[in-house]
Amino acid sequence: MLEAYGSALAYLFGNPSSFLLIIFSVIWGIAFGSVPGLTGIVGVALLIPFTFVFDPTAGLLLLAGVYVGSTFGGSISAILFNTPGSPEAACTALDGYPMAKNGQAGKALGIALASSAIGGIFGTIVLMLLAPPMAQFALNFGPPEYFALAVLGITAISAIGGGSVLKGLVAGLLGLGIATVGLDPITGTERYTFGNLSLLTGISFVPAIIGTFALAEVLQRAGERVSTKDVITDVSTKLPSMKEFLATRITLLRSSVIGSFIGALPGVGATTAAFISYSEAVRWSKHPEKFGTGVAEGIAAPESANNSAVGGSMIPLLALGIPGSATTAVMLGGLTIHGIIPGPLLMETNTQLVYTVFIGMFIANILMLIFGIRMARYFALVLKAPYALVGPAIVVLCMTGVYALNSNIVDVGVMLAMGAFGFLLRKLKYPIASFVIGLVLGPIAERSLRQGLVIADYNYWEFAARPITAILLLGSIASLAYGFYGQWKRHQQDRQSQVAAKHAG
Amino acid sequence: MLSLKTIPTAVALAAATLLSAPAALAEDYPSRTVEVIHAYGPGGGTDRFVRAVAQPFEEIAGQSMVPIAIQGGGGMPAYANFLQRRTDGYTMKAISPDQIIAHVLGRQDMGEFQPLARVQYDQGMIVVPADSPFQTIDEFIAHARENPGDLTVGITGAAGFDDTAMGLWNIETGAEVTTVPFGSSEMVSNTLGGQVDAMHEEFGPARGLIESGDMRPLVVFSDERLPVLPDVPTAKELGYDVTLGRWRAFAMPADADPDHVTKMFDLVSQAVASDAYQEVQEQAALQYRSVLLGPDEFAEFIEQEIATYTEVLTALGLVE
Repeated sequence: MLEAYGSALAYLFGNPSSFLLIIFSVIWGIAFGSVPGLTGIVGVALLIPFTFVFDPTAGLLLLAGVYVGSTFGGSISAILFNTPGSPEAACTALDGYPMAKNGQAGKALGIALASSAIGGIFGTIVLMLLAPPMAQFALNFGPPEYFALAVLGITAISAIGGGSVLKGLVAGLLGLGIATVGLDPITGTERYTFGNLSLLTGISFVPAIIGTFALAEVLQRAGERVSTKDVITDVSTKLPSMKEFLATRITLLRSSVIGSFIGALPGVGATTAAFISYSEAVRWSKHPEKFGTGVAEGIAAPESANNSAVGGSMIPLLALGIPGSATTAVMLGGLTIHGIIPGPLLMETNTQLVYTVFIGMFIANILMLIFGIRMARYFALVLKAPYALVGPAIVVLCMTGVYALNSNIVDVGVMLAMGAFGFLLRKLKYPIASFVIGLVLGPIAERSLRQGLVIADYNYWEFAARPITAILLLGSIASLAYGFYGQWKRHQQDRQSQVAAKHAG
Repeated sequence: MLSLKTIPTAVALAAATLLSAPAALAEDYPSRTVEVIHAYGPGGGTDRFVRAVAQPFEEIAGQSMVPIAIQGGGGMPAYANFLQRRTDGYTMKAISPDQIIAHVLGRQDMGEFQPLARVQYDQGMIVVPADSPFQTIDEFIAHARENPGDLTVGITGAAGFDDTAMGLWNIETGAEVTTVPFGSSEMVSNTLGGQVDAMHEEFGPARGLIESGDMRPLVVFSDERLPVLPDVPTAKELGYDVTLGRWRAFAMPADADPDHVTKMFDLVSQAVASDAYQEVQEQAALQYRSVLLGPDEFAEFIEQEIATYTEVLTALGLVE
């Protein structure tokens, strides 16, 4: 292995241009990530033709750098405008934007950047040291385990309610329900399309989140009398101090572990990782009710998770030739064009390529810190403009971005409708976080439940009695019960204190 | 005599004449970019197919060919977009068995397409993980016949091409298997991890795992054995007529100008014959039965495909 790293380093220093490639790719990635409609997948796909002129190693370095950069980039617009630039960053908006609105945009960006770098480096280390065993372990995860994992994430909905368990659950169920529109994942029949073929696409995730987050926010701001007090003033991005940083260390560690593992599971990626680690951050927090109002953990959890998922999703790609995410699937296509056959033999036959990419990703994460601060500063300047100009610009950007993603005009309609719907949810004080978690994790839960039942021949016991599934499901039930118990206890305490107050009075 | 002053005017006049010339003139065609609509993601198999043809096409035709990806919705948005465009010879569609299925299900109409060229024709296989108890396809069939529906086979997509191929297998062999739809990467991981007994996959995407010994192909759905897998029998030689394969092709609108069709097929066939395209095709392991079919042969092929898919999808209960 040391020898492999030696030859990888020899390659990097023998081709100094590869450092330029990494720098370019990180900036390109951050730029693509931060603009809604231009995701990392598009960023990677556009660069594939350019990799023809390089050797395969340089080509893969380029693509990996874009992947690293784009995963962070999405959080910039999520924090500053409540407009997730890429789906991975949707979760970051939940606490990032409120923090920015409280006048601490610079701090929010700094936390996102630091967490991204730490998550990214953690994921890369896991990839370097544990790729083959992790890939093998991930193979134990069949549909029942995916189902249990999604359920574990969904049960956190009850804790997110911001006081009302009922409202949290209602919002979550709405999310689960809306996700069922479109083609049935197992039988391919139409559901809730009312004979309208344009609804076959379903309520796609990206138009839905852009609508509920960005458009709903613009609508709300338009309805308010914007006072100068609300204007985000502190836009100079600062990395968190050591003290602030240490305060989130457990969240960072937990989320990085969750992120790199979920990244390694084929079919689910950085977005799922971000939401599940956000759910866990709420579940284990001492002050779960503060999430959604702009707490540091609410930014640190999804950002470290989605970036460690980048390293994670490279694990099945390099160890087995199975792409762990949509972006790595595009990378796999790029590798094939270079005549490299992805598969278990890749790590043995192309050691130099694999280890150079490891080191390249490491460097890319460090470079992200340097360029991220600069780029975030330029973006933040937009906030100095009056909202009367910024608001309409966001609406235009949302519409073009959503259309650009799939060139499908129906998505624009979905985005507008979800904007109105999100506005309504906010007015009635239903938590958006629960709604979005339902929307993201619902389809995973449904699909894997039904796949698993087909495999188990509809024997529910056989489905649930697998060790990992059982532990995760029991954990979900326990957490749900604990949530309700906590609610009941608070209720009792409130009543006692009221009674006591009455007596005292 | 032309003075220096009049040259720009003359050039402008000439340019104006060229621009205003009717675009339908066959000798000028194509005089601008040809767009190919498809319903799959950027970087996916179809996108790469269009790009692989587009590269030599540009050198041969002097005009570029670009893929337009309109994803999702079972291909309906892409189909609708294709129908809305003008028939001027500059819009084509990349089609595959998915269009045949949509036609049979009544969602799309193959009559809207003028078949142009079938370029790629892949072949599927039943692949088992290395630790599977089944060493040969005979053992697999014997188990499936004794325990109908007990064996699970991972496929990609619900009620799509893979489902039809395995449905035909069930009908032809009587060795009934249950299909489980996954995304393509999950299908591979669930097969490797032993969650399902086997998967239906083409050779190209599976070859890394076959070469490493992690997976074992049992049968190939083609007329002849693959030269790279000389020991793997075809379903046909076992007596089962299962040769359905995924193909990728170009189509123009049904009312396309016949001269355009002839010219475009000529250009596409030159592009396909080029070294650049052939190299890409070999890297994707698609060369084994990818015979280029022209408009007439391709139209006949589509007729046969519609008949086969109607039979299978009816047997699966998806069509009345």
